[in-house]
Amino acid sequence: MLPAGCSRRLVAELQNALDSCAERQRQLERSLRIARRLLQAWEPKETPAPEPTPRPETNEEAQFSACTPSPQDLQELELLTRALEKAARVRKGISKAGGDKAPSLKSASIAASPPSRISAPAQASRRAGSRASQTKPPKGIRQTRVPAKNLPEHRLLSVADATCKRRGAQAVKPEPGLRDQQMVPSAAAQAPEAFMLKDKGVLLQLPVAFRKAASQNSRLWAQLSSAQTSDSADAAATAKAQFLQKMQTASGWPSATEVEAEVGRLQKACSLLRLRMEEELMADPEDWAQEHRCLLTLQGLQDMVGQCLHRLRELHPGGRGRLHPLKGAAGGGAWLLPCEAASPVLTAVGEQLLRPWPEGRLPRASSPCGGGADPVWSPQLLLYSSPQELQTLAALRLRVAMLDQQIHLEKVLLAELLPAVSKPEALGPRWPALCRAVHSLLCEGGKHFLTVLREDAPAD
Amino acid sequence: MGRRRRCRVGPDEATRALPEAIAALSRTLPAGPSPETFRRAKFDCPEAAPALWRLLFRVLSPGPPDGASASLSLEAQARSVKSALRSQGYPSQALAQLPDNGSQGSRQLLLALAWLLARGPLLEQLLAQSRVRLGDEMPVCECEALASPGPPAPGMGEAGHVDIRHLQWLMGKLRFRWRNLMASQQEQCALLGQIHLYTRGCHSDRSLGHLSVTETELLRDPEGGRQLLRRLESENARLEAALEWRRREQVFWQWMDTVLGASQPTFLPRSPEPGARELEPVARELQALWEQLQEAVEARRAAWEARVGDRGPAWSAARRALDEVVGQDLAALQRAWEPGGGLTQPHGPRRLVRTEAGAPGGPGLRAPEVIEALRTQEAHLEVVLRQLQGHCRQELARLARALPGLIWIPPPGR
Repeated sequence: MLPAGCSRRLVAELQNALDSCAERQRQLERSLRIARRLLQAWEPKETPAPEPTPRPETNEEAQFSACTPSPQDLQELELLTRALEKAARVRKGISKAGGDKAPSLKSASIAASPPSRISAPAQASRRAGSRASQTKPPKGIRQTRVPAKNLPEHRLLSVADATCKRRGAQAVKPEPGLRDQQMVPSAAAQAPEAFMLKDKGVLLQLPVAFRKAASQNSRLWAQLSSAQTSDSADAAATAKAQFLQKMQTASGWPSATEVEAEVGRLQKACSLLRLRMEEELMADPEDWAQEHRCLLTLQGLQDMVGQCLHRLRELHPGGRGRLHPLKGAAGGGAWLLPCEAASPVLTAVGEQLLRPWPEGRLPRASSPCGGGADPVWSPQLLLYSSPQELQTLAALRLRVAMLDQQIHLEKVLLAELLPAVSKPEALGPRWPALCRAVHSLLCEGGKHFLTVLREDAPAD
Repeated sequence: MGRRRRCRVGPDEATRALPEAIAALSRTLPAGPSPETFRRAKFDCPEAAPALWRLLFRVLSPGPPDGASASLSLEAQARSVKSALRSQGYPSQALAQLPDNGSQGSRQLLLALAWLLARGPLLEQLLAQSRVRLGDEMPVCECEALASPGPPAPGMGEAGHVDIRHLQWLMGKLRFRWRNLMASQQEQCALLGQIHLYTRGCHSDRSLGHLSVTETELLRDPEGGRQLLRRLESENARLEAALEWRRREQVFWQWMDTVLGASQPTFLPRSPEPGARELEPVARELQALWEQLQEAVEARRAAWEARVGDRGPAWSAARRALDEVVGQDLAALQRAWEPGGGLTQPHGPRRLVRTEAGAPGGPGLRAPEVIEALRTQEAHLEVVLRQLQGHCRQELARLARALPGLIWIPPPGR
């Protein structure tokens, strides 16, 4: 058994690790659910507003007859009517079996026709898709394979846009014939084919309102990030700097407590930096990459110590009240240089105050995300070319996270468990077992165990 | 839009400009108080105080607001604001002396808000925090996740001793969870790849090419789509307000100067070098550290330059990867003593875009590069872990040797 304090800390630490793992798992599960659902057949979401439409077909037909149909159109009409009747029969059969949603769909589709003459035919052709094999597609219309079952209007319109644009102008042909096709949708409505992303994904299109909002959104973000470097930004920057100055002066900064706090922070920084330096100095680089990494780290540490010294000098009476240019490991101009939190130096907007790094030293603490002029505000892309690549990337990311956690746990366990086994005499006969367990936890990640044999004198 | 107007602002325009600037500011801020509140705050009216406390709380709390933080009482929020400002280095004492019940001090709060606005791109950061994400995002580095292991949850209830087998069990459970996590992650990547493939060519933005899960989901679920659209539109409104604020903020700062003037009584006479004595030991330590590092760096750099010639493009790519990884490492280290500072969200997650292999492609990070950087990081971490384990092994071996009569047989494979 382990001492109480030690137990509590270790259990808490391990529990923490378990919780953070569980949290990640939850988030992943959430997105997995959504993704899985998207790849299955989409549930129909019909628009309401059913209309009693006993024979809407005939009404529509009456409208259409205003235009003089060509012989070809008549033929097509004939074909379509037959298909419609057949489909109606099928629909009746299905509607007896289950809830019938067709009327609402039909009315929805027909209601949609006046506003969008062009999309309707495509709509119809889509709906007719499933029956397309039976109805010979009229020549003017390229059959699409998207019988989006019971899709609500706006989506249909957008798909229709897509099909129209993509399938070319041929889709817009003799109107009467096309409009007649619209009758078919009611028939096709009960087509057993549901919408599968796999087959018809390419034909989707985002709704117009959304597209507009999204493009406006990215435009505004771009404007916002560029606004930081315009002329008015400079004037504002000066005004801000002056305001900050005045605030510092007015409140008699730095006062005793603030200096104390700052000194405390710098002490902590000093000890952490020293610890890190010792780790690096102790490490024995195995190859050139590690050697170089060690060098870069030490250089970076040196620069950070330099920054701390600089801050210290500013706290000193001589340094107060003047704007100092600071060399900083700034990740791009937009970052708040950490040191400046307590100093009168203006940050962020005053890019002119931050000198770039001399060549060869630690570059602007940049990340793969790139520290540039506007690092964060604009959307950044990560391009991949195959799912395997993506999987490798994700797996590596998780592996790095796991290793990080393992290292942290190792340090904690080491700090707690080594003292616990360092007094064999205190634990007596239980010591070898404990030592074995500690060895496995600390040296083998808990996976392997060594064997301990007691060397007894042979009994005879 | 954004035209520079350097003409003198006439008195009429000046009187109009300030309210408009403040209105823009309040539209940009999340939970922004009305412009009237700002005006009252200048005159230190008590009724303006609660709204400003709440605003500062919202602005200073990290991350998006959740139910827990929203339900905090005004007092708790006020205390949290005070400590957050203190840790960020807010210079004025007067705010710390305000009563916790949130009934006073609107002028001080206004000054604090202005201070926060002046120090950095606060509005942009707030907007970025709550940004509507339309793409499938994947973080490329682990900084944000690493930032979270805070102090272990208190009150564990484990008052007593714990058998070491319990620890072994917990470790095993952890290993199992990681395996699960990796498997789920692989599945998610496969699904994402499929969705991206099936929706290729659908996006109106040619550089993206295909839809993301969010976008496909909005097509599948129109109600969700409408909500997303509403969120987008409200974000657009805030962005426009932010742009307007940027155009007009000059006049706000002039006004803030007057507010500052009105609050002069907080001036404390500067006591002569209060902390100079405390600075000395730290300064000496830091100086010593710097010199040690200087020595170490010189030695290694000389050794490095002696060894290394020019190795060509593969090497420079690897070097870049190393640079980035070390930069992140040190930034993470810095966060340990810089409470609120450091890089605020520098490594945002990136939107995944599937492209044809070998396509020249536009802007954006390529997966192979990230993979390379991650491999470097992985290799380094493995080395560190091995070294730690080796150190433990040595220690335990030393202890074992001290006790004769036992034979230690290492596990197979060692």
